[in-house]
Amino acid sequence: MNESMTNNADEKPPVRRRPNLLWFSLAVLGVSLCVLRVAVAAQDGDAASAEAARTLWQSIGVWVAAFMTLGIFSFLYKDNPLYKVCESMLIGVSAAYWMVSAFWSTLVPQLFAKLSPTLVKTYAMPSLTPSETPELDFMLALVPLVLGGMLLWRLAPKGQWISVWPIAMVIGVTAGLRLVSALESDFLAQISATMRPLVAFETTTDPAGVATRSFDFWGTVGGFVGVIGVLSVLSYFLFSVEHKGVVGKSARLGIWFLMITFGGAFGLTVMGRITLLAQRFEFLFKDWLGIG
Amino acid sequence: MTNPQYIGGIRGFFARLGGIDRRWIFLAMGLSIAIPILLKLRFPEYPGPMAKATFAAVESVPEGSTVLLSFDYDPASAAELQPMANALVHHCASRNLKIVFMALWPLGKQQADRTIETVLKPLHPGYSEGTDYVQLGFQAGNEGVIKVMATNLSKQFPNDANGKPLGDIPLLKNAKDLGEFKLVASISAGYPGAKEWVQYGNGAMPDAFEVVSGSTGVQVGQLLPYYPKQMEGLLVAVKGAAEYEMLVEGKYPAANPELLGQGRVRMGPQLVAHLLMIALIVLGNIAMIAGRPRGGAR
Repeated sequence: MNESMTNNADEKPPVRRRPNLLWFSLAVLGVSLCVLRVAVAAQDGDAASAEAARTLWQSIGVWVAAFMTLGIFSFLYKDNPLYKVCESMLIGVSAAYWMVSAFWSTLVPQLFAKLSPTLVKTYAMPSLTPSETPELDFMLALVPLVLGGMLLWRLAPKGQWISVWPIAMVIGVTAGLRLVSALESDFLAQISATMRPLVAFETTTDPAGVATRSFDFWGTVGGFVGVIGVLSVLSYFLFSVEHKGVVGKSARLGIWFLMITFGGAFGLTVMGRITLLAQRFEFLFKDWLGIG
Repeated sequence: MTNPQYIGGIRGFFARLGGIDRRWIFLAMGLSIAIPILLKLRFPEYPGPMAKATFAAVESVPEGSTVLLSFDYDPASAAELQPMANALVHHCASRNLKIVFMALWPLGKQQADRTIETVLKPLHPGYSEGTDYVQLGFQAGNEGVIKVMATNLSKQFPNDANGKPLGDIPLLKNAKDLGEFKLVASISAGYPGAKEWVQYGNGAMPDAFEVVSGSTGVQVGQLLPYYPKQMEGLLVAVKGAAEYEMLVEGKYPAANPELLGQGRVRMGPQLVAHLLMIALIVLGNIAMIAGRPRGGAR
C-alpha cells in the first residue's frame, strides 16, 4: 500500500496545455478598448464641448490606471505577459520622469540659467528672475560644469581616474555638511532627551484652576524601560568586552529590546502596505467601477 | 519533516494546512480589504498622545501667524499621507493661519496643488492666493534647500510656483528666513523629509519655530527618537491620520466630511486585515508544529 502510494507520489502529473496568457491578455485589452469606444460614442453628442473632452481624457486615464493595477495584481496568480508589460511601463515611465524632472529642476535653473541667463529666459524659463551678480554666478557655475564633465569622463575609454575627483568632492562636502547636524540633532540632543526623571509626575488642572500634582505610573514605567533599554542595547554593541556574566545578560536583554523594535518597525511597514492596497481597491471600486 | 499526507486526524489537517497554495492567502487578504471598503466599515478611533500633541502644536500657533507645510512625498505614499495633509490644511485654515506650501520632492508640488484644489478652496473659499496662502513649489537640493532657507528665504525661492517674485507677494514680501514661520509641518515619506527638517531646520534655529510631522509607517521608526524634544508632534501612518482627523473634525467640522474621512475609511480594512494576519501567523505556527515528527529529530 505504502509502496503504491510512494510510486503515485513520484509520478509526474500529465502536462496540460494552458491557453497562451499573451493572447488572453490581448483579448481582455481588446474587449476593454471596445467598451471604451462605446463610451466615447455615447459622448459624441456633446463632444464639441471642452468639458466632454476633459471627461473623456479622464476616463481614458482611469481605464489605463485600472488595467495597470489589475496587470500588476495578476502577478499574485502567476507571472504573465500582462504583468511584464505593466512592470516595464512603470519602470520606463519612472525613469523618464526622473530624467526630465532632474533636467528641468536642477540642470536648467541651477546651471544653464547661470551660464546663459538670457538664453534660458528666452527659450526655457520666462519666469527666471535676473540675478544681481551675473558675473559671479557665471564663474561659480563653471565649477559644477567642470566637475560634471569630469564625472562623465568615466564613460571615456581612457582616463577614468579623472571621475574619482568629483566623487571625492561630493563625499567630502556631504560628510562635512552632515557632520555638524548629526552631532547636534542625533547625538547631543538624543543624549539630552534620554536624561529624564525616572519617577514621573503629572500636573492636572481642575475647572476652578487649581493645579494638582500626582504620581504618573505609566510615565514612571516608561522612564525605567527607557533607561534599561538604552543601557542594555548599548551593552550588546560593546564588543571590546566578552559577553559573559552581567554584560552577557545585559546584552541578551538588549537583543530582546532590538527584536521588539524590529517587530514594531515591521508592523508599521505592514500597516503601510495594507493602506496602499486599500487605496488601490478604493480606486478600482469607486473611480473605475463606480461602486461603494 | 513527516509527509503531511501520512498524518491523520486534526493534526493531519493542520499539517496539510502548512502546504496550502499561497494564492488562497492572497485571495483571503484581498477579500479582507475589499469587503470592509464595500461595506464602508468604520471603527471608533481614540486619539493617542502623538496625535494630540500634533493637534496641540497647531492650536498653540497664534492666529494670523504663518506656517510652512512641506509636502515631502509623492503619489506612491499618498494613500498614507494625503489624509494627514487634508486634515492639516483644514486645521490651519480653520484657525486663520497663513499657509506657505513647498516641496522637497518633485511630485510634492502636485500633491500640494491637489490639496489646495480639493480641500483648501472648497472648504475655505475665502482664502486667497498671495495674502492667505502661497505655493512655493519644489526646489531641488534636498537638505541644502533647508539650509539656505534658514539664512535667506528669497535666495532659495526667488519666485513662487507661478513665477511671481517673492517681493510682490504680500504674505512673503518681508520674509527673511525660516524664522518667519511659527510652525513647520513636514508630511514626509523619506529622504529628504521630516528628519532633515529637524536636523537642518530646527537644528539651525531651535527656538524660532516648532516642527511637527506626518510620516509613513516605514519611515516613522527613524523619527520616533525626535519626539517630543525635537519634534512637537508626530502622526504615525494612516492610524495617526485617522486620530488627527478625529481631533480636527471634532473641533472644526468640515462642510464636506468626506474630504476629512479618508484616514478613518482606511482603518476599517486595516483592522480586518490585521486580524487575518494574526490568524494566519497562529495557524502557520500550528501547522509547523503539527508537521513535526513525533519524538523524531527536528
